[in-house]
Parts: sequence; C-alpha cells; structure tokens
Amino acid sequence: MRDIIESALLSAKRAGATYADVRILEREVEEISTKNGSVDALKRSFTKGLGVRVIANGAWGFASSFRLTADEAEKVAEEAVLIAKASSLTKIEDVSLAEVEIFQDTVHQKVEIDPFSVPISEKISVLLESDKIMNIPGVIVRKGNMYFSKEWKTFASTEGAYIEQERIVSGAGISAIATNGKELQIRSYPSSFGGDYQRKGFELVKSADFLKNAERVAKEAVALLSAKPCPSGIMDIVLGGSQLALQVHESAGHPTELDRVLGEEASFAGMSFLTPDKLGKFRYGSDIVNITADATIPEALGGFAYDDEGVKAKRIYLVKNGIFVGYLNSRETAKKLKLEPMGAMRAQSWSFMPIIRMTSINLEPGDKTLDELIAGIDRGIYMDTNKSWSIDQNRLNFQFGTEIGWEIKNGKIQDMVKNPTYTGITYEFWRSCDGIANKDFWHVWGVPNCGKGEPQQVMQVSHGVSPARFRNVKVGVLK
Amino acid sequence: MIGKDKIIEILKKAVSRSKADQTEILVMGGKSYLTGFANNYIHRNVGNEDYTINIRLAFGKRIGSATVHGFSEEIIEKALKDAELIAENQKENPDFVSFAKPSKEVRQFDEKALYSENTANCDAECRAKIAKEVVDASKKLGLNSSGTVETETDEIAIVNSLGVEKYCVRTVASIKNIAMAADSSGYSKSTAVDITKINVEEIIKESTDLALSGRGPISIEPGKYEVILTPYAVAEFISHILYLSLNARAVNEGSSFLIGNFGKRILGDNITMYDDGLSEETIPLPFDFEGVDKKRVVFFENGVAKDVVYDTLTAYKEGRESTGHSLPQPSPYSPYPMNFVIEGGNSSPEEMISNVKRGLFVQRFWYTNPMDPKNAVITGMTRDGLFLIENGKITKPVMNMRFTESVISALNNVIELSKTKKIIYDMASVTVPYLRVKDFTFTGKTEF
Repeated sequence: MRDIIESALLSAKRAGATYADVRILEREVEEISTKNGSVDALKRSFTKGLGVRVIANGAWGFASSFRLTADEAEKVAEEAVLIAKASSLTKIEDVSLAEVEIFQDTVHQKVEIDPFSVPISEKISVLLESDKIMNIPGVIVRKGNMYFSKEWKTFASTEGAYIEQERIVSGAGISAIATNGKELQIRSYPSSFGGDYQRKGFELVKSADFLKNAERVAKEAVALLSAKPCPSGIMDIVLGGSQLALQVHESAGHPTELDRVLGEEASFAGMSFLTPDKLGKFRYGSDIVNITADATIPEALGGFAYDDEGVKAKRIYLVKNGIFVGYLNSRETAKKLKLEPMGAMRAQSWSFMPIIRMTSINLEPGDKTLDELIAGIDRGIYMDTNKSWSIDQNRLNFQFGTEIGWEIKNGKIQDMVKNPTYTGITYEFWRSCDGIANKDFWHVWGVPNCGKGEPQQVMQVSHGVSPARFRNVKVGVLK
Repeated sequence: MIGKDKIIEILKKAVSRSKADQTEILVMGGKSYLTGFANNYIHRNVGNEDYTINIRLAFGKRIGSATVHGFSEEIIEKALKDAELIAENQKENPDFVSFAKPSKEVRQFDEKALYSENTANCDAECRAKIAKEVVDASKKLGLNSSGTVETETDEIAIVNSLGVEKYCVRTVASIKNIAMAADSSGYSKSTAVDITKINVEEIIKESTDLALSGRGPISIEPGKYEVILTPYAVAEFISHILYLSLNARAVNEGSSFLIGNFGKRILGDNITMYDDGLSEETIPLPFDFEGVDKKRVVFFENGVAKDVVYDTLTAYKEGRESTGHSLPQPSPYSPYPMNFVIEGGNSSPEEMISNVKRGLFVQRFWYTNPMDPKNAVITGMTRDGLFLIENGKITKPVMNMRFTESVISALNNVIELSKTKKIIYDMASVTVPYLRVKDFTFTGKTEF
C-alpha cells in the first residue's frame, strides 16, 4: 500500500504539483431487499481503487483508477497534474489551502456484532417474518431492506499526513403500501426511504425490533386510505423526529455548505441565502434554535475520525441561540473567508474528488416533552415520516409531505389525517419554532442518500433531532 | 478501452466456469471526465477510469448477485464466488422464470451512431478550451458563469448462459452553462454523441440572453397560469412518470395511473409518447442491461394508453417478451424507459408565445418530487428563467415560483406543441418539445 501511495505522491510532485493527496479505498457492501414474501434482491459489491488530487499551476486536478499498482498510481498522478494544468487556463487566482494540523493515525471502528459475520439466512428471515406480519387485506406491496458496509480508507498527502480509517455501517427498514384502487398510502419504519442507518453493526437491526412494529406499519397504511384529508390553512404543527431530520437536512445542512455559498455548486444544486455578510448577524431561527455540525458523535452516520482532507472531526455551531454563526467548510473555502477548517470534505468513493458534505447536522435538544409540545396547540397537526420534499436552489421556499399526520385539537391528539403537507420560507419557519423536545426524545437519524456535486456523489450523513413545534405554518397543498 | 474481443472472450470463459443453472455477466465502464467551472473559472476537473461487473446466478429460482469494480479474470472469479455464496443462502423467487433469451427479432441499427472519436479524444485541454469560450463570453457581458463540459466513453457487454452475447461502445458529451447576474440567471445545456455537434455559441446565447433579460424580476401571486414550458421544463416535470407510471413494475405495484386505463383516452388527443432506444432523436442504446434488443414501446397514442416497458422478470411472468428496458439488475427501478420521446406538433416556440394572452414562460423546473404518485402530482420550483407573457409578448422577468400540478391534468391541458424537440440527458434520454399548457397551478413563491 505504502509503495502505491509514495509512487502517486512522488509522481505528482515530479510532474509539477505543489500539493497532492491520495486516497485508497476498499469497500464491501451487502444489500438485501424483500418484496411481497420473497427476496427481491440479494447482492454483494466490492470496490477498490485510488484517487489522486493535486494542485498544479495554482489549479485543481483529479484522476482515479481501479488498478491498484505503483505503476498505475504514477500514471494517475501524472494525469491529475495534466488536468490541473488545463484547469489553469481560466485561473483567476491560485488555489490556497488553510493550514491544518497534520496527522498520522490509524482508527478502527468497534461494533458489537460484525454484520458480515451474521448468516444471510438470519437477515433474510427478519425481513420475511416482518413481511408476513404486514400481509393484511388492503396492503398491496410489502418491502424490507438491509444494508451493511465495511470499508478501509487510507489518506496521505505531500504535507505528511497518513491516516487509515475503518468504517462499518448498518441500515434497515420496512414499509407497507396500501391501496383501494384510487390512491396509494405508505407507512415505513423506522423511517422512509430505506429506514435508519448508523455506524453500528448488526445490533442496529436487533434493536429496531421490526417484528414488533410490522403490524402497526401495515395497519396504519390501510387506515390512511379511509382517513380524512389533512386540513388546509395556517396552523401550528409538531414535526416528529424522522421528518424533522429531513427539514434540518434541507433547510440548515445544505445552505451552510460553504462551496454552495461561494457559487461552486451553482451549475447543479444551486447556491444559498446564507451569504457571508449574514455570518454572525442573521436571525436564522428563534432563540431556542441551536444547530450543530458534529462529526464526533459516536455511531452517527455522518461521523468519522478524519475527513478526506485529513482534518480531524470537530463539533461546531452553525446556528447558536437562533443566530447563523457557522459554515461547513473545506481547507480552500475556509481560507477564502479566514475561517478555521472544520473537516467536512468527503468523497463518495475513491473515484470522486472530495467536496463539502454535511457531517451530523443536529438540532440540539430543548426542554419539553412531546406531550407538552402538543398540549400547547389549540388547532394543528402532528406530522411524521417524510414522503415528499422540495426546496428552491437558494434553500428558502420549501414544501414537504409526510406519510402520516394526526389532528391536534385543544392540546390533544385526535384523528389520523392523510397526505399532510406544509410549506414555508426557511428562516420564517425556524423563527416560528417555540418548543423543542428534550434529550430523552433525541435520536440521530441516518440519511444514506444525500446527492450533491458534479459528477453527482451520494453521501451518508445524519441528523440528531427531537420533535419540535412551529407556529402559524401553511399546511395543506393537496386538496 | 478493453475492446469487444477481449471482453467477450473473458465473459464467455467466466460463464462457462459457473456452476449455476443460469449465469449472466454484465460489464459497464470506461473513462469519464468532467470539467466544471464556477465564478468564471475551472474549479473542478476530474477524470476516472472504472469498470463495473454485475454477475447474476440462478440456481433454480434462487438468484444471487455480486458486483465488483475493475476488469480481470481474477476479479470476475471473486464475483462468481460471492454470487454463489449469496445464492446458496437465498430463498426462491416465485416470480423468476429465466434470464434473457436471445432476441427473436433484431431491428437494424448502425452502431456507428453510438460512438464518436471526437468525444473519445477530447482531452483535458480540449474541455478546458470549451469552458474558456463560455466563461470569456460571460465575462464580456458582465455575467458570472457556472457549468460543465462532460465526456464519457463506455463499453457495455452482456453475456449469459442462454446464448445472449452483446457488446457496444458509446460516447456521450454534454455542455452546460448557467449565466448569472445579481438577481437573474439563464440556463442552457446540450448533449450529443459527438461533442463537435454541440453548438457552444447557442449555449452561450440562450443562457446569457435569459440572464440579461431576467434582471429586476417582479413578484407575482401564485395561481393558475397558462404556461410555455421549454423542453428543459417539460423533461423535469414529466420524467417522474417514467418510474412512477410507464413501466410494468409500477403497474404491478399499483403506482401507475395507467392501471385500468389501457385502451382508454386519458390524456389529450395531441399527446403521443413512446420509448425508442434506436431512434437518433435520443442518445441511442441498442439493447438493455440484460442484453435484450430494444423494442419501440408506445405509451400513449393520441392520448390513448397503450403499453408500458418490461424487463425479463416482469415480462416472462406475464408470458410475454421483454421490451428491452432492464436496468442493471437487481434494481428497484427496473424496467425503465431510457429513450423517452414526446411527439412534437407544428408550431414554433415563437408562435406559441405569441398565442398567449397572459401567462408565464418557464425555462426550467428544479427539485421536483411527487406529492401523490398515483395521480402523478408533482411539486417543484422554477429556476433560471421565468417571465411574464402579456398579449403574445414576453414583458417582464418574474421571481421564482413553486408549482404543484398533476402530469395527467397538464397533459390534458396542452394547447400547442412545438415542432422543435430537444434531447435532455441525465443518465436516461428524454426528448420533448415546447408545450403550451393552460391552467398550470403555481402554489407558492420565493424571494428571488
């Protein structure tokens, strides 16, 4: 391994790079999905390769290859330098990186049960048992899925960094789709779009207790078909954890990515309303809104020991007492705004150049119980589990739909409602937050499929949240 | 490139070594490059060489799959062993009948239409020069450009134990620009097999004209508007029905609005849509990822629901032929229309605008998602060019708005279609005209 890395770094320098780093990644994945009583897909994937990132002529270049040999590493580094030199054709100023502490380290990840040691038959049986329980009249599609991955990544740079990290991830979920011929309703557990994901072993699946939740999931999907439609109007809402995680993701995570803010994602994902002139001044939310970026949370999907620039994981505030105070950054963007690098650069795999990604972006817990949040509402809706999401390219106007809702009247949960939706402007919404549930209700939800960048990269991130209450929200778009 | 002879030889050898009743090996890969620019300079410039090998083994009705990256006999051997291990632990899939059988009829297709040396040989300097042409033009106009120049050269090969043996090499190139002023932006993108067939000047003109004329937008109230949707907007809006509605899986799972409606007119009689992998109106692909030759599938003819696309799993279960629309298996999104076309009409975009008394011109939609899959209700934002049309003329730029609208309703409200169509490519190819649609519903607005 070291000879491949040395070959890449030496070759980059020889070709004219003023900075180079190399990442070698090896990853094994096992995925299982079941549908309507049988195993729909059972697949193992394996990938390994190297990516070399360089600065030459003051501009970036990146090349990668699946051939892991010293000769190939040399060629890849040379190609990265050629690409960087071509980039410099349009250069306005030289790329410059903020100084960081240089580490040599090896980090293993402890899990209780190595997911690759558990027989596939045991995994299948959990999903098929749940499937059987969900097989009730009205349910047309029952689905279950599990995901396990194990990776070993080595990062080295011409500055002397040499970091090896292990990463083990488990994820699982079930869902039931019911129909009456006219409409479809879905319920998922523990969250939608594949369930919950964490840096844990098979213990994640054991603790999720799918068999206990499968019947409720199926019954709720069927019950939604005859539930009344979510009312429309301006009213108070309480968002459950799994929906609030996505709200944090879209309206706090993405707009604080400094590459977006500086226009580097403008041709795809867009930019951000949180421009540098607002840093430290702008009222993003009410006084009780505190949002952190924390890659140090044990087991959080968005956590790690070092990012893909070798920066050690940190916890920083993005929003403190309602004021916007921080960005997710890289060494390059931090230098531009004279900020401290906070370690948010990650790449999907060896074949991608790292970009700024969310770590674990968390709404810090408040001091209420869920009952207290609901008790404070005369007329409103409790909504949970994301079904649909959309937000403008500057992250202001959003519209979300959830799988399920319940009316709240006079401080009490009442009837189930279907197709709940709510919409708003990000800062107005967060300013209307007047209650956040306490740490007993706090959970770090894994989001395994955050898309960003060109070429597009899919990243595993997470969001620690507890349910929260928002006042005077526009509810109901669908008739 | 590895080349046809070597790939087929190695795959055939691997298939012959397999202990399974049926074996399928798919190889996809090659070189891909992206030169990205933002703030009028190249900020990201990346290249990658990778091959993905998908192996599926069937022991009776027990299917095991494995994927590996790279290309060598050793790595294929590892994947075969992984797939065998997986299949041993697998339960039977009662829906499984067989992997693909060789196609009975093969439509004539000139494979030269798939590949261009100009694209394959466009190196870092070639891409950087195109990027420079775009940013220099933007700078001259006082605008800020962001965009990409992308090229890919892919080899795709499928060999299975039933006699399927397919190989092709294809190139795809895309050039995109978003030109931005302080309070406006304009979008343009083109995709072609041959990069030299992309008109860079047109991309510059379309994007910068929109950015310049979009300055000083006014805010208007949401509501129902007559709209002119460009092909970019049409593709973003309707592409959700490709996975929600127009395939056999969606019909089986209940999400398709075609269920119970085959043979009935449920869209406007001016709407005809189909998928044709061999059409040069799209970025062609002659066979699917199971090695089945692409058939032309008509979804709607003059508004009447006709058919959906199939892969082998969904087709053989119903006792019919696959239409050649499998994605790399296993996939929760397969089958999928990869070469979708809406037939055009007779108007020019200018004539269509001149026929609008009061309405909106929408260059592009963004961040669209289904709100109600069964009724194909989609929400999303406008982006990079929204203008008020009054008395047949574009009069004022408008701040971006949110729409929430059903594809079914909108395709029943199409008043006019343009003759001109454009290929919108993002993994799959969607070729659509401009549409003039009445009563399109906007439900919100934003601050820019």
